Amino acid sequence: MLAAEPKSVGRPVLRKEDNRLIKGLGCYVADVNRPDQVYARIVRSQVAHAKLLGVHLEEARARPGCVAAFAATDIPDIAQKKIPVRITPSRLDQFALQTPLAVDKVRYVGEPIAVVVATDPYVAEDVAEDVWAEMEELPPHLDPLSAGGSVLHEMVPDNIVGDIDTSNGEDVDGLFRNADVLLHQRFSIHRHSAAPLEPRGLVAEADPQTGRLVVWGPTKVKHFNKRVLASMLDLPDNRILLIEPDVGGGFGPRGEFYPEDFLIPWLALRLKRPVKWIEDRAENFVALNHSREHVIDLTIAAQSDGTLLGFRCTDWCSVGAYVRTTGLTVAKLVGLHLSGPYRWRGFSSKVIGVLTNKTPLGTYRGPGEVEATFVRERALDILAAKLGLDPTDIRRRNLIPAEALPYRVETGPRSETLEYGSGNYPAMFDRLLANAGYQELKDEQARRRELGEAVGIGVACFLDQGGIGPFEQARVVAEVDGTFTGYVGVASVGQGVQTALAQILADEIGVSVDRARILHHDTDSIEDGMGAYASRTTSVGGSALVLAARQLKDNARRAGAQRFGVAEHEVELRADEVWARDGRVVTFRALECEASARFETSAIDFSFGSVLATVSVDRGTGRVRVERYVGHYDVGRAVNPLIVRGQLEGGAAQGIGGILLEELAYDDRGQPLCTSFMDYMLPTLSEVPYIETAWSEFPSEDNLIGAKGAGEAGIIGSMAVIANAVADALDPDRMVVTSTPLRADRVLGLLRASSSAPPHGISSTLDST
Amino acid sequence: MKPPPFHYVRCSSAADAVALLSEGGEDAKLLAGGQSLVPLLNFRLARPSLLVDINHIEDLDYVREDEAELCIGALTRQATLERTSLRSCWDAIAEAVPLIGHYPTRFRGTVGGSIAHADPSAEIPVLCLGYGARLTLVGAGNQRIVVADDFFLGPFMTLIEPSEILTDVCLTAPPLGASTAFEEFSERHGDFALASVFAGMQLIDGVCSWVRIAAAGVGPTPVRAAAAEAALLGSRASDADLREAAAALASECSIRDDFHCSAKARSEIANELALRALTRARGKQVGVAGRRSEGLHQPSSESSAGEDN
Repeated sequence: MLAAEPKSVGRPVLRKEDNRLIKGLGCYVADVNRPDQVYARIVRSQVAHAKLLGVHLEEARARPGCVAAFAATDIPDIAQKKIPVRITPSRLDQFALQTPLAVDKVRYVGEPIAVVVATDPYVAEDVAEDVWAEMEELPPHLDPLSAGGSVLHEMVPDNIVGDIDTSNGEDVDGLFRNADVLLHQRFSIHRHSAAPLEPRGLVAEADPQTGRLVVWGPTKVKHFNKRVLASMLDLPDNRILLIEPDVGGGFGPRGEFYPEDFLIPWLALRLKRPVKWIEDRAENFVALNHSREHVIDLTIAAQSDGTLLGFRCTDWCSVGAYVRTTGLTVAKLVGLHLSGPYRWRGFSSKVIGVLTNKTPLGTYRGPGEVEATFVRERALDILAAKLGLDPTDIRRRNLIPAEALPYRVETGPRSETLEYGSGNYPAMFDRLLANAGYQELKDEQARRRELGEAVGIGVACFLDQGGIGPFEQARVVAEVDGTFTGYVGVASVGQGVQTALAQILADEIGVSVDRARILHHDTDSIEDGMGAYASRTTSVGGSALVLAARQLKDNARRAGAQRFGVAEHEVELRADEVWARDGRVVTFRALECEASARFETSAIDFSFGSVLATVSVDRGTGRVRVERYVGHYDVGRAVNPLIVRGQLEGGAAQGIGGILLEELAYDDRGQPLCTSFMDYMLPTLSEVPYIETAWSEFPSEDNLIGAKGAGEAGIIGSMAVIANAVADALDPDRMVVTSTPLRADRVLGLLRASSSAPPHGISSTLDST
Repeated sequence: MKPPPFHYVRCSSAADAVALLSEGGEDAKLLAGGQSLVPLLNFRLARPSLLVDINHIEDLDYVREDEAELCIGALTRQATLERTSLRSCWDAIAEAVPLIGHYPTRFRGTVGGSIAHADPSAEIPVLCLGYGARLTLVGAGNQRIVVADDFFLGPFMTLIEPSEILTDVCLTAPPLGASTAFEEFSERHGDFALASVFAGMQLIDGVCSWVRIAAAGVGPTPVRAAAAEAALLGSRASDADLREAAAALASECSIRDDFHCSAKARSEIANELALRALTRARGKQVGVAGRRSEGLHQPSSESSAGEDN
């Protein structure tokens, strides 16, 4: 009899993916090559807003090596082929959806207006330059605060594509009337986004045997994308196979359905040849969803002892030129996350999606959550300073106490009720401060300030949402080689799915982790799946896998009993073997076991996190140096501590880059100013300190794993905590930072502002009522 | 991000290169380390019809130092210069070269390529101004030597004729006992500098007898700051004198707003870097001339040249 296999969940199992990927043996979409393939190149608009009078392809078609060139007029019914919204629809979004090629107008620099195909990727770029578009330029609409002006879409005359109200239904006006103080502040957050190191790409081919359309390169939400593609091509779902190769980073934007996700498969069918398209970095900067751009007005009502009463908020979110697949999710999540981990008696917010002549906006790691945390936590620091409170005191006073959990938050008459589940926010916050040595840091800061240094300490608290449904599926197969394969509908964008889910599967069956294998690669192996977003793959995908494994064991028990001719209660499962009382034994694989299951949930997991950062600011150059970055998170259950740590550290680094360096800026004609890594500055090891990461485990009761989100927790507090630390460094009243990014230029300006008294450029006002 | 078609020829001598350039006309370009040109090709911002690859010319790779000068072959890799031990009067070189791009790019990037490319924020052109370089240009049947002060005409524009090749750069050694320093600021290590400053100084009996100040990132070309030098020459190099010189430098620049930095902030940064470079150069004179710093605030370790290397 075998000794019980030790559980692998909770252990730092080395990532199964890494040996292959580190040795260069990965297979990314650019590594996929099909016989006789040709190469597509997208011709993109060079202007931000124009009537498209004509697209001339004659010269392009005449160049040697050109296989084909198409504009919108070459694609039948293109005006009806609108890329649909996947989540968070809004009032007028159907009038602002994107077609795969621009039909009669272009609305952002980078919008596809034609596609050319050549025998060689170099020639394809030459051919693309031969395409000539006749345009009549229109003034661009760039400022989300000016709703009027140049109209992007005829049916959306004020450029407002929708708005979402979030309110807990309390009398906010009454709270405001009775408050001791009101704090008004406008915040602005700059446009930036994910920069996956591997740009997008697609290879599409009609299978010569079956005629089915096969597409390599989709990720994140493959089953949804398959249905969209089928509908746009007017094909039955089962005529399409999407294959996810290795993916070099997702972070939200990667894997959504984009114009190219229609164009490349359409070309393969039209040309009856495999077509390959690999996005280059310059394209990626104008084609991949942007994120984060908002102007947010926040008013907080509080008592003079720092007790929070209520808030009102308006968020103008610059959604770009079209509403893409994630709809108004980014703005909606600002509204849902503003209240955060604190007790408020009443709140009311309105988020407004404003169309602008820029690359469309979509979700990016911690969507809306990063922004909401930034404005709320910044406002709390300003309020604390005005009330003479330490930043940690105002938070302690208002954090939802442990005994109040689970804590329900109404968000509106027709919206969901949020339930904050397990946790202990005040205790975790205290752990953070103890881990960081808050009092010692304050003392050290005082000493360094005496010496003239500009050093600051910031803290921030937040809630991370993860584990959202509605479902995931899994199918488990006992293979002939003694391993178990778990087919899952979630996706891998590089986050370690093949390891963490294998641990879950191995434990549930009772075998070692090297006998479990996860396949997430195609839409044929599993009927349906939601995908990789909202920190859900481990908790929801893992739960489906647990159910499938349990079903597999039930099936094995039944089949084993049948094999032995005994009743089911007379056999015993030991790992992957079925034992009869008389010593007869049969393995799952000999029984050819297989099982499928679906895990459904309507819950959202909310997990608490808090971060502390210290910075120093070079007064001569405006350089912000992050000296320490300490985080404490509730991950529910760390299935793989190595992966969890990597996710949390990576999120922090990405967030530090987001507030200090990365900016998708435009000039006043709507020209993007950052289309290379020379201008879009990702943080490097020189800019990121050692990230001090710790966590608590308050298991989730909403899934079978106990895990909560870990993929996004690391980034959610980053913008807020760095901003608070910089404000603290620059100004004893911690007032100055209300907009981002905090590049050297801006910081020098803030230094000038805070050294002049009274400070200029600070619009926050505090009213006594 | 793939280049348009071009012809490519590899040559083995400067004379060959000149001949090929003459044939190729205005559309011919030299390919040295390629760390600037290749990205420009891939962005299709440069469209030469002919690339003349000079990487295989062997006799243009040398660093020779004597009392009077430091001569560097145009094809010398930046990494070679980085690894060459030099006398202390060349400190500014040792401090500046590690700031050029990144470790891997310095193994390809050449000294001459950086000068000929004339990016207004590049480091080596500032060193040329600071050390009063003489640049050797070889053309069809002729050779001429030009001084760095005359060489840089505008962004990416120099005195080099289309059929000429830069073969050698000779930096003039500062007077015996002089010291130099280099300061640079970029938001990330390895990026193009928002500003950089070269400072060289010699104090004799407490009086500034030699001074060189040059800066990059502060205008269409690197600049030699004559007014700033004049403010210091003959002074006692007090803190106030250094501040005056640093302020003069900023006034000699023609800085414009760009996306990365406003003119105002860039000017402030240049001023600060000048002050730091001058202060460090003066500080190095302590050992030489026994002069003590007056306690002007020392640069924080993070901003001193050579960080992270």
